[in-house]
Amino acid sequence: MAAELVVATTDLAMIQAQQAGMKAIGAGLAVGLTGIGTGIAEMGIGAAAVGAIAEDKDFFGLGLLFTVIPETIVIFGLVVGLLLLFL
Amino acid sequence: MLKPRQMSHLFITGSKNQMEPVIQELYRQNVFHIEEFVEQTMEGYEGVKIGTPLPGASEAASKLIRIRSIENTFGVKLEDVMPQKMVPVQQLRETIDTKLSAIVSEVEQIQAKKSTCEDAVKDLEQKINELKPFAAIPLPLEMYSGYQNIAVFTGRVSKSPDLIVPNETYFSHAKEGNFIAVFAPAEHSGKVQLSLLQANFAAVPVPKGEGVPQDLLNLYTEQVSAHKKEVVLIKEHLEAMKKEQIEFLAASEELMNADVDKAEAPLRFAMTSEAFLAEGWVPADRVDVLSDALVKVTGGKILVTVLPIDFEHDSVPVEYNNPSFSKPSQVLMDVYSRPTYTEVDPTLMISIVFPLFFGMIVGDVGYGLIFLAMSLGLRKYLKGEAGEQLLTVLRNASISSIFFGIVYSEFLGFAIPGWNPVLYSRHLMTEAGGHGPNIPELMVLSIWIGILHITLGRLLGMYNHAKQDHGHHRTLAVMANFGWLAVMWGIILAIWSSAVIPLMPNLTGLPVVVSVLNVGHIIGGVLILVGIILIARESILEVIELPTIVSHVLSYARLVAVGLSGVAIAMVVNYMSIEMFISPALENFTIMSIVMILVGLGIFLFGHTLNIALTLLGGGLHSIRLHYVEFFTKFYKGGGKKYIPFGMKRRFTED
Repeated sequence: MAAELVVATTDLAMIQAQQAGMKAIGAGLAVGLTGIGTGIAEMGIGAAAVGAIAEDKDFFGLGLLFTVIPETIVIFGLVVGLLLLFL
Repeated sequence: MLKPRQMSHLFITGSKNQMEPVIQELYRQNVFHIEEFVEQTMEGYEGVKIGTPLPGASEAASKLIRIRSIENTFGVKLEDVMPQKMVPVQQLRETIDTKLSAIVSEVEQIQAKKSTCEDAVKDLEQKINELKPFAAIPLPLEMYSGYQNIAVFTGRVSKSPDLIVPNETYFSHAKEGNFIAVFAPAEHSGKVQLSLLQANFAAVPVPKGEGVPQDLLNLYTEQVSAHKKEVVLIKEHLEAMKKEQIEFLAASEELMNADVDKAEAPLRFAMTSEAFLAEGWVPADRVDVLSDALVKVTGGKILVTVLPIDFEHDSVPVEYNNPSFSKPSQVLMDVYSRPTYTEVDPTLMISIVFPLFFGMIVGDVGYGLIFLAMSLGLRKYLKGEAGEQLLTVLRNASISSIFFGIVYSEFLGFAIPGWNPVLYSRHLMTEAGGHGPNIPELMVLSIWIGILHITLGRLLGMYNHAKQDHGHHRTLAVMANFGWLAVMWGIILAIWSSAVIPLMPNLTGLPVVVSVLNVGHIIGGVLILVGIILIARESILEVIELPTIVSHVLSYARLVAVGLSGVAIAMVVNYMSIEMFISPALENFTIMSIVMILVGLGIFLFGHTLNIALTLLGGGLHSIRLHYVEFFTKFYKGGGKKYIPFGMKRRFTED
């Protein structure tokens, strides 16, 4: 009886640990994958913006701004990651 | 405030002989934005042509070119010159011709001297290079030529050649290659060439001249250094001249610029055979002053008319009209686009909300103080209006960061000792007993900010459309903006009725109407439906944009997310430097501890420098992006023409 109880609690502890681990993996995936998505999206914009800035330096502000527009994707990933870890 | 400065459309007509005093007065007043005349072939424009420049235009322009070429020699720009004292125009006009030609001829002489010296240096260096290989051989140059029966070979080889014929050879090792000089009877020159070729011979011609190469080298080197010294002296002379003449040059350039502007102004006017017509824009409160002044200088022989503004065809120049504390934010508006004359100018809102957003993201007393120091310290280096405005924006943002740093209780990623966060905490790693980060609450708070900001944007959109559009389209556009608002609030109502969210009203307890749907769901659904219909009535294609309602509101979560990533980096840096290096070193102090403390300090400095750069970039860009992308797209069009009055701000001259 006592032995069974011990097994049950260790099982519970293990399951909880696994769940925490899964959450962490999920948070990592959310940030990492969205980061890649943002990177791919910013690749084209960044190249075009640098080209435009080479033509006209005044475009710098707007070019920088266009480049960070896809940052929203990774922000969403970060939000999901934070909610997974802390909610 | 919230509106550009009121402008009046002015039309000035007079006979041609009144044009010059009118131009002088317009230039002096510095308020008249000239609307350039374009020649037209339409009926009613017969005989109206673009004007011709005033006499003296080309003379002033050529003087300007001379002044600028001297300034170019000195390497100065008008913008970089700090005015010391104002020069009276009259005095300058009297002296400018003689003084300018004196300076020009002096500078030309000095330049000629300088280029002679530099040419001589180049020439000598060339000779030195040619002589160098011969320096190792103790033969005077004249010994290499003038033989009848002896052939001479000079050049570089990779190894010493095997010469089977009688010869006299000088050989020297050197880094850049072995040098050889072979003297052999002329009849054997074929054989000598063959053996030299086997040693990879590359011929080097004998330099012209007489004397021992080493002596010549010494002489030339001395001459080079003498010339170089002279160039240095010339440069010092130029520098001294620059200091002496810079104020005169700056004042003359300003005066000539003004003369050229004035002389060429008629090119922007319309002219008939007897009269001139100038069209332009003046701030409404300056019309009376300007027209009185014009009447006065012409003795009343002029007609100044205020034309009604035709918003369909006229593009009215836009001058900001903001209270002084929000003026620096105009630089953020100009980066996007200047507002048009008829729409709401959001500079005031940016000047308040941008620092708040920046502060919310950074939220650290230490970083705030560093930014504050940066904004004050960089003033010395960042000159120009835009640079100063940007630094003022940074100053306001850093003050807001310090404020939020106190609210969050953060100093360089540490908690401020003895001070608990007001409302919500962002501390990711907390001591036992302390409360952890209030992430859900902070997220919901940022969403609330988003909802309110976007609602404000849509309301402004309704106002702009009501003001700018006409007829049926006006109603459709205003209603479409209302539709977007209705859909957004409908979705929010539906969510409130379905789930309990901290800091948001709980509508799950409303009376149920059908199955699981309660009153909140029904009202939300109706709002969404009505909204979609209103949006579709303006443009059916807009309906595919509906998901942006959710994504734009959620986008405001970056206020917390970006900030938290900054906090995380700061805390990791602190943990690495203090917990991993400095604390263990202090606990058990040995010689190695000093190294560990140094490493810890290095990590601390490097990590925080990196985080400061990231936070500045992140905080600034994300705050401004929330304005440009999420806020401005709801109401703002921009594309206004900048108001550039005819005239200039004088810095070096006075009447």
